[in-house]
Amino acid sequence: MKHYLDLIKISARQHRKQNRMTRLCIVLAVFLVTVIFGMADMEMRSQMIQAVKSYGNWHAAFVLDEEHGTLLKARPEVKSSVRYGVLNYRLEDGYQILGVETAVCGFDPEMMEMFPDVEILEGTLPGNAGEAVLNESAKTRFGVQVGDTVEMTIPQGDTVQYRITGIVKEMALMAEHDAFGMFLNMEGFSALRSEETGAAREEVYYVQFRPYCNIQKAIGDISAQFGLKPEEARQNVKVLALMFQSRDSYMMQFYFVAAVLAVLVMIAGILMIAASMNSNIARRTEFFGMMRCLGATGRQVTRFVRREALSWCRTAIPAGVIAGILVVWVLCGMLRFLSPGYFEGLPVFGISFPSMAAGILVGLLTVLLAARAPAKRAAKVSPLTAVSGNAGTVQAAKHAANTRFFKVDTALGIHHASGSRKNFLLVTGSFAFSIILFLSFSTAIDFMRHAITPLRPSAPDIYISKEDYSNQIPSGLDEELVNYPGVKRAFGRSYAEFTVPADGRTLDVISYEEQQFQWAEKSMMEGSLEDAMNGKGVLAVFREEYTLRLGSSILVSAGGKEWELPVVGVLGDVPFSYGKSGDTEVSAGMVICSEEFFQKLTGESGYAVIDIQLEQNADDAQVQEIRRACEQACGGGFVYSDKRIGNQEVKGASYSMSVFLYGFLGVIALISFFNIINCISMGVSARLREYGAMRAIGMSVRQVIRMVAGEALTYTAFGVLLGCAAGLPLNRMLFMALVTSRWGEAWSLPVWEMLVIVMIMIGSVCAAVAGPAGQIRKMTVVDTIGV
Amino acid sequence: MEILKVENLSKTYGSGEARVDALKHVSFSMQRGEFGMVVGVSGSGKSTLLNCIGGLDEASAGKVFLNGQDLFAMGENERTIFRRQNIGFIFQSFHLIPELNVEQNIIFPLLLDYKKPDQGRVDEILQVLGLENRRKHLPGQLSGGQQQRVAIGRALITRPALVLADEPTGNLDSQSSQDVMDLLCRASRHYQQTVLMITHNRNLTASADRVFRVADGELSELGGASE
Repeated sequence: MKHYLDLIKISARQHRKQNRMTRLCIVLAVFLVTVIFGMADMEMRSQMIQAVKSYGNWHAAFVLDEEHGTLLKARPEVKSSVRYGVLNYRLEDGYQILGVETAVCGFDPEMMEMFPDVEILEGTLPGNAGEAVLNESAKTRFGVQVGDTVEMTIPQGDTVQYRITGIVKEMALMAEHDAFGMFLNMEGFSALRSEETGAAREEVYYVQFRPYCNIQKAIGDISAQFGLKPEEARQNVKVLALMFQSRDSYMMQFYFVAAVLAVLVMIAGILMIAASMNSNIARRTEFFGMMRCLGATGRQVTRFVRREALSWCRTAIPAGVIAGILVVWVLCGMLRFLSPGYFEGLPVFGISFPSMAAGILVGLLTVLLAARAPAKRAAKVSPLTAVSGNAGTVQAAKHAANTRFFKVDTALGIHHASGSRKNFLLVTGSFAFSIILFLSFSTAIDFMRHAITPLRPSAPDIYISKEDYSNQIPSGLDEELVNYPGVKRAFGRSYAEFTVPADGRTLDVISYEEQQFQWAEKSMMEGSLEDAMNGKGVLAVFREEYTLRLGSSILVSAGGKEWELPVVGVLGDVPFSYGKSGDTEVSAGMVICSEEFFQKLTGESGYAVIDIQLEQNADDAQVQEIRRACEQACGGGFVYSDKRIGNQEVKGASYSMSVFLYGFLGVIALISFFNIINCISMGVSARLREYGAMRAIGMSVRQVIRMVAGEALTYTAFGVLLGCAAGLPLNRMLFMALVTSRWGEAWSLPVWEMLVIVMIMIGSVCAAVAGPAGQIRKMTVVDTIGV
Repeated sequence: MEILKVENLSKTYGSGEARVDALKHVSFSMQRGEFGMVVGVSGSGKSTLLNCIGGLDEASAGKVFLNGQDLFAMGENERTIFRRQNIGFIFQSFHLIPELNVEQNIIFPLLLDYKKPDQGRVDEILQVLGLENRRKHLPGQLSGGQQQRVAIGRALITRPALVLADEPTGNLDSQSSQDVMDLLCRASRHYQQTVLMITHNRNLTASADRVFRVADGELSELGGASE
């Protein structure tokens, strides 16, 4: 031992057990910060992957002529710019290949870098105006190969021939509309377009800016330079938002919410460490008194405390960071497992440097900040306390416990919690922060529920219908399709529009088979599903402005006959829109009935729609088989929609956000759990000697436990009150910023969230009391009192 | 009337080479109202003896009877309740409860029984202790001597058959020590309570009826002050 500070190491060896609690607190705080920032970072990465897949990797798009385009390219902040144009985007203008509507896109070859989802599966990009690339379905449906020549009919009635140089991967929109996509180079595209418009020369220029460029300023400058109207300068809002480069008002609110949550997480960390260090120092008052007694100055004691705190950081911070990284890996692994194709770009073992930096910084800063007060307190310890034998006991109380209203054990427990105002505020504050964090983060779940509609269990992968929604799909087709490899389920719906003579409006009548009725059970608001299944009546679908009531009946006419339809139940919603046009104005409502009932009403047994759900491992060849079977069975006027890619996107977005948001809440719950256990455990170990004295006087173990429980419950009760008092306004503010401002839903008391976190806290208190109870039970009075 | 009977009491710590016999076959008894003192050098086993008699520590062998009841035949909870109703403890470093004021500290053993204390008895004790004016003070606001008087009051409030005091004057000045001794003598003589006290101060043994010496875990009786 060469220096008085070397005592830290020796003391640490001796008090390893006592210091473990404080170290655990630092680990937890660092873990909390690392996990939350790490998850946020990974969520941003996964969102970025999705955003780039869905919208492309461009930052802004400008509608410019060629001259301005050249000037744009020359600007210093522009890293790259590519031209892009599209014809027949809505698939109704009459550009057709082999009779199929085809979207025609023209682009510079660099475009592929900006749209990584546009992937060339075979061949190369078109090199001249007579060459083109087609999407995968053209190959699978008509056997188009690289090197073939295809003919495209254009709206003017002419045909243009193209040599196919490559095939691109299927895209969600084209698959859903069963359309072809043809990709030309800009030369070919310009030639085709001039045939249509004759003159138009403006292109869309997609731009990527250089790193660290102020994108909003650059967009403003470019718009001013070329005199662009707002609609002529588009932004890739999601990508920019994820780069913190968006000034979109909603995104600004989003950043604000993220900043509030980040500050809350940091405060939670500071409170946890401060509470722990405070108890640690209070427990060792006698030791610091002894140091002062032996001649240590106040400054030396302060230095000792700070250095000691930093020495805990040496192991605790890496442990917290490593634990945080491991949890983030688990969450990323879960995402990859849940949606392997969609999150292939997300690294399972990715390291989030911002989260590590945040964890280390918060750990160090909070430890130093948290050590300030206890260090001052330790420096002020009188040397007398060391020799008086009263250290750590008699100076604690400032007022007597209230034994009038409570039994003495409970009264002492309450007093132990509330006796020291600073400690009480720190501990209840850290408890309250768990609630504040939970209530604040739970608004993100509300946001997610609105922003991302999870895929319904009934969602089809393939949807086939007759163009006019007539019931001409053979009724046995669904059963036949189920036998095809790769098909998990197939189910049909018949559709009819009946007139309501009372007001002349139409009533949509749809048939369900058993599986669809089962899915509908969750949406049942009232009435009997059974009765509808047995053909005793119909299920009305709820509409805010007009709902058919349970028990009523509606008179409809069809085919010259009038029918009285009894309403036997009301459904909250159905997974499809109203009528052929989806127009609710002309519709008197929608009712669901059994297939037999539908057949009785209409005399028709065919389906208007068949939904097909595929097995997870169904491949494209199997899908093509299914398509061919449908074509054969349905004949002409048939609509085929492959929704697999779109479904995967919805699933991916929903998984990613759910995993991270519920992950956040789980971490907060875990932290509350550990924090409560740690606080109570520290309180008990600090008072062990006092408990020993009480046991010597005659306090039973049960009474000691009741005293500890009283202390824990006091912290919890005030923590819950304080947490709700501060957390509810914050919850309301964040809810209004995230949800009300966008979807208009009014804030309501988050009863479930409050119940969940309070139950977690009560559970934690029970666990927190059980630990020390066992410890006290095992120890003899002599061990505890130290006499 | 025999209040305390100790039979063949032994206490051993550790095993093998590290084995320490803190108490070796100690046997003695005390009558009601007797004032006994235990002397001995540090580490001789005095505190261990007191802790075993008080049921704070388990003996390795032997028996302790208080009012005819075998202390070690009781379960932990039963012994605790028996202790708070029949034995009063006084410690060198007082061990008052910092969150309770003087009056609450004194009635604490009664409160543990969830009993309402007899206010007359409390006032009497406070008067005997000379603490009437300090009844609402917290331990932190008292001197060492006053704190020890509170501890004595706490030990006497249940009118225990036996009062055990472990160097109650060890932390006190001579005047306070004398006050404490007077109070313990009064408990023994006036209230007929049996008192067993450990001390280092040979001068104090003059007040005792019987004096025991513990050396290397063995107890021997040196006789009474009167002898």
